[in-house]
Amino acid sequence: MVRNSSIERKIMSGISKKLFEEWREIAQKELKGKDLENHFWITPEEIRVKPLYTKDDLNGLNDQLENLPGLDPFLRGPRATMYTNKPWTIRQYAGFSTAEESNEFYKQCLENGQTGLSVAFDLATHRGYDSDHPRVSGDVGKAGVAIDTVEDMKILFNKIPLDKMSVSMTMNGAVLPVLAGYIVAAEEQGVSKEYLSGTIQNDILKEFMVRNTYIYPPKESMRIVSDIISFTSKNMPLYNSISISGYHMQEAGSTLTQELAYTLADGIEYVRAALDAGLKVDDFAPRLSFFFCTGMNFFMEVAKLRAARFIWAKLMKQFNPSDPRSLSLRTHCQTSGVSLTSQDPHNNIIRTAYEAFAAVLGGTQSLHTNAFDEALALPSELSSRIARNTQLILLEETGVKEVIDPLAGSYYVENLTKEFIDKTLLLIQEVEQMGGMTVAVSEGFTKFKIEESAAKRQARVDKNEEVIVGVNKYINENLNEEIDLLVVDNKKVISKQIQKLKKIKSERDNNQVNLAIENLKKGAESNYNLLSLSIEAIRARATIGEISKVLEDVFSRHKAISKSITGVYGSAFSEDTSFNEAQKKVTNFAKKEGRQPRILVAKLGQDGHDRGAKIIATAFADIGFDVDIGPLFATPEETSKQALENDVHVVGISSQAAGHKTLVPELIESLKENGGEKIMVVVGGIVPPGDIEDLKKAGVSAIFGPGTPITDSANQVIDMLLKKNLSS
Amino acid sequence: MGNFRNRNFLHNLEKEYGSIKELSNKIVSGDIRTLSRCITLSESSREDHQFFSRKVLEKVLPMTGNSLRIGISGPPGVGKSTFIETFGTFLIEKGRRIAVLAVDPSSSKSGGSILGDKTRMERLAQSENAFIRPSPAGKTLGGVSRHTREALLLCEASGYDTIIVETVGVGQSEATVSNMIDIFLLLISPGSGDELQGIKRGIVELADLIIVNKADGSLKSEAENIAREYNSAVKLLRPTINNWNTRVVTCSALENIGIEEIWSITEEYIQNFDNEKNISSHRKEQFQKWLREEITQNLNKQIYSEKKINDLIELYEEKVLIGEVLPSAAAYEIVKKFLKK
Ligand code: B12
Ligand SMILES: Nc1nc2c(ncn2[C@@H]2O[C@H](COP(=O)(O)OP(=O)(O)OP(=O)(O)O)[C@@H](O)[C@H]2O)c(=O)[nH]1
Ligand SMILES: [Mg+2]
Repeated sequence: MVRNSSIERKIMSGISKKLFEEWREIAQKELKGKDLENHFWITPEEIRVKPLYTKDDLNGLNDQLENLPGLDPFLRGPRATMYTNKPWTIRQYAGFSTAEESNEFYKQCLENGQTGLSVAFDLATHRGYDSDHPRVSGDVGKAGVAIDTVEDMKILFNKIPLDKMSVSMTMNGAVLPVLAGYIVAAEEQGVSKEYLSGTIQNDILKEFMVRNTYIYPPKESMRIVSDIISFTSKNMPLYNSISISGYHMQEAGSTLTQELAYTLADGIEYVRAALDAGLKVDDFAPRLSFFFCTGMNFFMEVAKLRAARFIWAKLMKQFNPSDPRSLSLRTHCQTSGVSLTSQDPHNNIIRTAYEAFAAVLGGTQSLHTNAFDEALALPSELSSRIARNTQLILLEETGVKEVIDPLAGSYYVENLTKEFIDKTLLLIQEVEQMGGMTVAVSEGFTKFKIEESAAKRQARVDKNEEVIVGVNKYINENLNEEIDLLVVDNKKVISKQIQKLKKIKSERDNNQVNLAIENLKKGAESNYNLLSLSIEAIRARATIGEISKVLEDVFSRHKAISKSITGVYGSAFSEDTSFNEAQKKVTNFAKKEGRQPRILVAKLGQDGHDRGAKIIATAFADIGFDVDIGPLFATPEETSKQALENDVHVVGISSQAAGHKTLVPELIESLKENGGEKIMVVVGGIVPPGDIEDLKKAGVSAIFGPGTPITDSANQVIDMLLKKNLSS
Repeated sequence: MGNFRNRNFLHNLEKEYGSIKELSNKIVSGDIRTLSRCITLSESSREDHQFFSRKVLEKVLPMTGNSLRIGISGPPGVGKSTFIETFGTFLIEKGRRIAVLAVDPSSSKSGGSILGDKTRMERLAQSENAFIRPSPAGKTLGGVSRHTREALLLCEASGYDTIIVETVGVGQSEATVSNMIDIFLLLISPGSGDELQGIKRGIVELADLIIVNKADGSLKSEAENIAREYNSAVKLLRPTINNWNTRVVTCSALENIGIEEIWSITEEYIQNFDNEKNISSHRKEQFQKWLREEITQNLNKQIYSEKKINDLIELYEEKVLIGEVLPSAAAYEIVKKFLKK
């Protein structure tokens, strides 16, 4: 729709022109000289939101308004009765330490009102390494639960009836052995796979874009996806074979329209892959599910979910399904983690409540609400309880579940839904014209676009144009609350896992394992269904690491190419003083030292959160640093080698997944051993207060937590460098 | 200029970095840290640093000259880094030790830059037998040329037997690089519009081997077509100085196809080179050229950095503009004045 850019309407069919003029006059007066024509809000999606919507804004929206829930195009909801019959599933994403500890936690949650499970695996498991692998020493049990074998899986679901409980598993890289582990664990619990309900994430395209727990190259990974879709569509009728995820895109910095467009385009790509593998659209399309993020832009989030269902129905028609369920988009939502802050963390409870409210008004099928200690550590018992109760209160006390799609007909929300649909379709078209998502992803196009949005956002926040209460406005300097955080002793988890691994390896029939592994290898080289072969291997007690390794031998391990944006952050700052201040210091340093200050921005271990590192890299370069970017998944020794060869002044570690306590001291040690004792080390990201002392003792010069404006951290780094180099 | 004017500058630098003797010994013993710091010194814009690094370099000069020097160039995104990753790993398996000097042209207004290249040579970067150094090209004219040459020599002294210099093929820098290496590989790729017309003829003339990369998947047949096209085009070129006819091959850096052939052509080229003309005499010529280049640059820099001369230039500029004096006559006067000071 081409919208009239001025508030005045040429055709005034609903509101009379006279009435509108009257409003206009009063409004103009209230604005005291400001121009009503320029009184609007342009969102990051470049949607221009007006101060007032009227009946006229529904003009031309008939195909959108004349809809009912449960019917094509499902704009008003995938089910005819929605929450009036069955509430959304309260599904909290959790997992930490060992299977034993996570199992205890799950049972407790279920007793207290949670209605579905969602497993968070640790990064070693995500990336297909057993807990005894040397590359994962800092990661085991830290950011999720450590799972090495089917025995761990059985412990994880101990006393949880898998025929009744719907279980969602966030797994993409090591999806074959993990899904196989789940199936075999159920089988040994006495539940046959036809009865399993729940979801496996299995969405590899967004891993290459934003989540970074891929293992194999794109082509081989796509084959795994379609093997799983094909296996589950035949054998597991209640199971969602894939959860096509936009969540991680928004968390990585995308706008809401980018999130929706790239997710739906991913969805189309998976449909094509399954069709290419010989499946019929109605055999699998009803089992595709989605996963979106719900952030603070309240009405936009509601519009997004409505638009999502509308567009999906429209897009799916190209495949001529006859089952209407093939057109209907069902989704899980999670409130936004990035919107939560480490400053004044109790504010996060309020943010999460608003976000949850938006997800429910948008008609989500299940929901995770984040804990208030999100920007500090994995959730504690207290914070998890509050997060869960946020949903229970919303469900039980507000009456929100009594009416379907309650915002339908709102001038604003309907108009916004329409704008959202139009903008999203354009973005989808752009990707389709490139040849679809696989091409766009492998060329790094979408990642690039998302990083650009993330850089713009960072600049808005650092310039206080976008307010975050407690971070860049209403800052409470004197706040000094102690918050009890969950602490995982990673050394203990490793030793426990190694013990269990040893036991299994000594008790299993190794001939049988070797045979199953050999079969898997042959299957990978030809075209046997890899899930069914993985199930055999898991039954024989092959480990997650062993299965991943043999597939890696055939498929190879994917190495990402990282491209970096420049100029986006810097160009937002022409007159900002602290930006210019940093630039001046850098120039001064370069004059004195004979070169620009040089920083290596690095990630250690299996931590794939790269948003912070990328944004620091591009912003520091804009300020005048020479910036080396380390590859993902580096060991401390590899990072040290790079720092020494490139002769950087400072190594900046961005740590999100709690590996720093083990890995940063090892890095500093390695630098020292090789003559790099003068190289400064700083750390940014999620460093819980309890770790700060240890890191400083190990030789870390400064720590920058979430919410630190980059202009501040850059100024501090250059100050320290100037001081150090003047005194030496 | 830094502390150059300070009489004690050498002493101070030795205190900070170690004595010239120590440094040169450490370089020769293969100490990576020392190597990388000395490269920094020679890249520095401070004259005392440059002077100091030259002292170290002079000390280790007898230990240089024992490597194969390979120049690699090609348009942005053609796959140079990926190629070096694959080719370098292949050479390491053959027992060689590789140093890669990657010159990064991306420099922003602020003077900073992102040197992301190394992430594309991840495996190579992890190898004990590889040393990779990305360097910002910076803004100084001619800087790259000297830095890279000196870095190359330092790496040789440190025991690397294969030095790869990567530059982005945008023109200028190729000629400079071709003057410091033994063999020049030009990478091109299909589907990026760098077909024959697109690429500067001058660069093609410098190439000893043209590699059409990305000959895999859907690009394979197009890559082969381009190779054919180039093949007939290079036939029209005169053989390079050492009587070598430029070859054209296809490869896939990503899928490790065609690497072996590239290596055997390289070996053949070197063999031929030695038969025709002996590499070391070729390198002597390169040093002669380097000397002349440095003289020109040095003079240039000195003339333009002198305030008096700059004022004079301005003065003459006006006269030239109103047609009072000929540019050549003005230049004559200015240089004369400069030399007299
Ligand atoms: C975004 C996000 C994601 C995105 C990541 C997208 C991406 N490509 O980066 C997605 C959704 C994919 C994701 C996934 C996961 N996540 Co996450 N994620 C976050 C979240 C919400 C925000 C991080 C972020 O990007 N912030 C925005 C950036 C700009 O801020 P920043 O990185 O903090 O950087 C700022 C400063 O810290 C500082 N800084 C940072 N680095 C450096 C470096 C230098 C040199 C300097 C000077 C400054 C500096 O400056 C920056 C600007 O202010 C955090 C919680 C939170 N609110 O912080 C959880 C969090 C980090 N995630 C967590 C977990 C567990 C995961 C998973 C492992 C879950 C799982 N089991 O599957 C996965 C796996 C991801 C992986 N591959 O590693 C946990 C980690 C727990 C812990 N540390 O104990 C956290 C803390 C949430 C929680 N409380 O549970 N996540
Ligand atoms: N299909 C295919 N793609 C390749 C091949 N070699 C490189 N690429 C891809 O081309 C892109 C650019 O590769 P790089 O190695 O970074 O290219 P470069 O020439 O070093 O680029 P700059 O340093 O930016 O000039 C990457 O996405 C590579 O994966 C190849 O042999 N085949
Ligand atoms: Mg490159």
